[in-house]
Amino acid sequence: MKYLLSLITISSFAVLAFGLWIPFKALMAQELLELAWAESQARQRPVRPWPWADTWPVARLAIHYGQSDQHADTADDQRQSLIVLEGAHGESLAFGPGQVFGDERGAGPTVIAGHRDTHFSGLKHLRAGSQLQLQRGDGQWQSYRVSDTRVVDSRHHQINTALLPRNALLLVTCYPFNGLAGRGPLRYVVEARAMPGELVASVVAR
Amino acid sequence: MLPTHSLFRSGTRRRHTALMPLRCDSRRLKRVIEGISLWLAMLLLLFVQPIYAEASESAGELRFVDSGGRHLASAMLMEADYRVEVTGLVADVQLKQTFRNPSQRWREAVYVFPLPEKASVYGLTMIAGERRIVGEIREKAVAKQEYAKARSEGRKVARVDQQRPNLFTTHLANIPPGESIAIELHYQQPVRYQSGEFELRIPTTVTPRYMPGETDHSRATAWQGGWATPTTEVPDADRISPYTVLPGDVGANSHQASVAMTIKAGLPVSRVSSPSHRLDSIWDGNAVEVAIGEGSFAMDRDLIVRWAPTRGMAPAAAVFRQQWQGEGYLLAMLIPGLGSERQVPRELVFVIDTSGSMAGESIRQAKQSLLRGLATLGPDDAFNIIQFNSQTASLFMDPVPATANDLARARRYVGNLEANGGTEMALALDAALNRRGSEGLSGSVDGVQRLRQVVFITDGAVGNESALFRRIAHRLGDTRLFTVGIGSAPNMHFMREAARFGRGTYTSISNPADVARSLDELFGKMQSPVLTDIQVTWPDATASQSAQPQRIGDLFRGEPLVQVVRGQAPTGDLRVTGRLPGGSLWQQSLNLAQAANGKGLHRVWARQKIDGLLAASTLDPDPGEEDSDDIPGRVTALGIEHQLITPYTSFLAVDKTRARPADASLRSDSVPTLLPAGSDAGMLRYPQTATMAPLLQALGLLGLMFSVAIVLLRKRAIV
Repeated sequence: MKYLLSLITISSFAVLAFGLWIPFKALMAQELLELAWAESQARQRPVRPWPWADTWPVARLAIHYGQSDQHADTADDQRQSLIVLEGAHGESLAFGPGQVFGDERGAGPTVIAGHRDTHFSGLKHLRAGSQLQLQRGDGQWQSYRVSDTRVVDSRHHQINTALLPRNALLLVTCYPFNGLAGRGPLRYVVEARAMPGELVASVVAR
Repeated sequence: MLPTHSLFRSGTRRRHTALMPLRCDSRRLKRVIEGISLWLAMLLLLFVQPIYAEASESAGELRFVDSGGRHLASAMLMEADYRVEVTGLVADVQLKQTFRNPSQRWREAVYVFPLPEKASVYGLTMIAGERRIVGEIREKAVAKQEYAKARSEGRKVARVDQQRPNLFTTHLANIPPGESIAIELHYQQPVRYQSGEFELRIPTTVTPRYMPGETDHSRATAWQGGWATPTTEVPDADRISPYTVLPGDVGANSHQASVAMTIKAGLPVSRVSSPSHRLDSIWDGNAVEVAIGEGSFAMDRDLIVRWAPTRGMAPAAAVFRQQWQGEGYLLAMLIPGLGSERQVPRELVFVIDTSGSMAGESIRQAKQSLLRGLATLGPDDAFNIIQFNSQTASLFMDPVPATANDLARARRYVGNLEANGGTEMALALDAALNRRGSEGLSGSVDGVQRLRQVVFITDGAVGNESALFRRIAHRLGDTRLFTVGIGSAPNMHFMREAARFGRGTYTSISNPADVARSLDELFGKMQSPVLTDIQVTWPDATASQSAQPQRIGDLFRGEPLVQVVRGQAPTGDLRVTGRLPGGSLWQQSLNLAQAANGKGLHRVWARQKIDGLLAASTLDPDPGEEDSDDIPGRVTALGIEHQLITPYTSFLAVDKTRARPADASLRSDSVPTLLPAGSDAGMLRYPQTATMAPLLQALGLLGLMFSVAIVLLRKRAIV
């Protein structure tokens, strides 16, 4: 009985530790990625954040929460900056949102996916009209305005990249946001459009 | 959780009062434990709430979600059963699709499914419990009306339409809750005979097709059946694009096919094999019973069965006859024995599809095919490689002689190909068929006359087939187009027709083990001479007029000539003449009196005739001429006479009695098809975007709660 008890206690602690480790890793990795992103900007070529990484940063995403015209006071404070990685395999998503589809120079549509419980947990605050900014490898910032948010079933919907408008940015994460099951079929999709002719030069996130 | 905890607390509190004289530190310890357990319980509560929130979606069945993200009732289950009987060169198939409605509501099932490219569907029966309702052929518009009427009146009704020659749709309305309705389709398909082997192909799923053109927002879409929306070039995109899902996403035992096959080849069969599935064959005299090794299989790849006649018994010619409604039908097959192996210098252009639908196993097979093709090039040949997805790019500006240097460069180029983007085939076809600078009959780089051949490697996953066929026919010139179909479910209709318009042949590759064999056959064929200018003369001159197909293309080594004729008595000799590459005349005759009895020849004839009419209207879409003006009418008449599904006729089976009560509502379900095996999703699938963190945290907390509870309980038990 005593053994059983200690076994349960220890394994519970272990499981809890693993559960806490995931968001911790996600948080820490972003710090390392910041460095790699700065370096890749300086050298103008992809830099791996750590030597054994199988991915590299491709963009920086800045999310403004709330509608800027209505809550002008809070809009500036509630801002999240994330380094976007190449690809969306399980390993890269643990460290940062991954670019599933898109061109390095930002020509054509872009699709970025992230974990609902770490980096993209804030997507639920986005509404139509919210602002996003994306910085590419060349340092240029492009502003986007959210046009639509929706929930889709990944078993019956796929992203037809050929039919996406060239100026579209799609942010994808799992739904519901407070769900427990890791392999649910629902996805939350935020669709944004590039604001025309507006290349915001060197607006640094912080 | 909460009640347990409060029970606990009250328990400990009672102990407080009872155990006053205990030592101070043990009391403090108890307080600490109590505090911890309280906090744990609070944390747990926070996590338990989402468990309840999600409990509704964790059941194992396929569920549908509407645009607002709300769950609908669980989805339809579907299974298919194929009973195939091969007689000579015709396979007769009885396909039974069973739709089971596991929900609590009345349902309509809409299912887009593939059939073999030359299938002629001639029968439909709806089976609801003990009742069998035999369907009838109707004009498409009439069938649609009657279906809508019966559907709204609550009667059980089934309708099968043709969307593409190899793509059909089943509509089945008023399936009662918890019950199943089956439809039984009868169709026949010709068996392919090539290089001493018979081949039968049963497709089970559809590779998602690329829809070129701009999205057409002006049209209201009545039926949102698939993922694609109509575009300017493919106005019926929504109707030919069923959702493709992974096998794990459909309910257990859904999308399973079973096959039972009898082969009566009419001659001794020595070997039955399949590159796609494991087979069990039992010989019974001249007939062979074939079953699939696993019993049933997931409908995520085409079933291919091949059989070969015993060595030395390979047929050189065959004639079958049939009487149907007072008319005699004859089917003749002739294999020209072409011996010479003289090689001519060629200009080979390889066109490889690197679109997104090729991602995964397909692109690997395509690269392998291309490398094999490069290996067959001789020193006199010239070549080029063109790849296309949304854009078209070529390795060399113009074809270059096949020197070791350029071949090595080409191999590196092939190695670096990657699949993504759309399938804009038109530009690639132009690039391959257009010829710069060189005039005259054949391609000429550095002054050598060469035979121009294009090898087109693709999965054919496009929706605008007819526009492409037109382009091929107009630009072909003296070039020959050979198509190579890649993947576990290529669009065989496109492969066959593109090759026919391109006056070449088609080959399909279904798995990596098959690449070498099929391609060696193809490239061998391309190296050896062809028989051109083929004329077939039937003894009866009026019957000759009705021979189908009317124009016979070039024949390559090992290929048979097949023609069906109506109104020809089985007497006299059939004469076939052609021209060999050297310009010499070739001729052969066949005694029709030897004809054996065949089945379903009139349907083969009718289907060929319909294909001919439709091909004519594809190439000349302006209804200016009187001849092409009434093609829909003539096709409809043929369809009704021979009881066949055509683009203008559909099968309809209606129950007489009302099944669904007037107050029960009906919901429509699109039954998905499985993603072809080995392919990465042609469309971008949504990635997995949740971690295990919340679950692990909740589990950890729950475990801690539990152990604390045990500790407290034990404390109480001890004292």
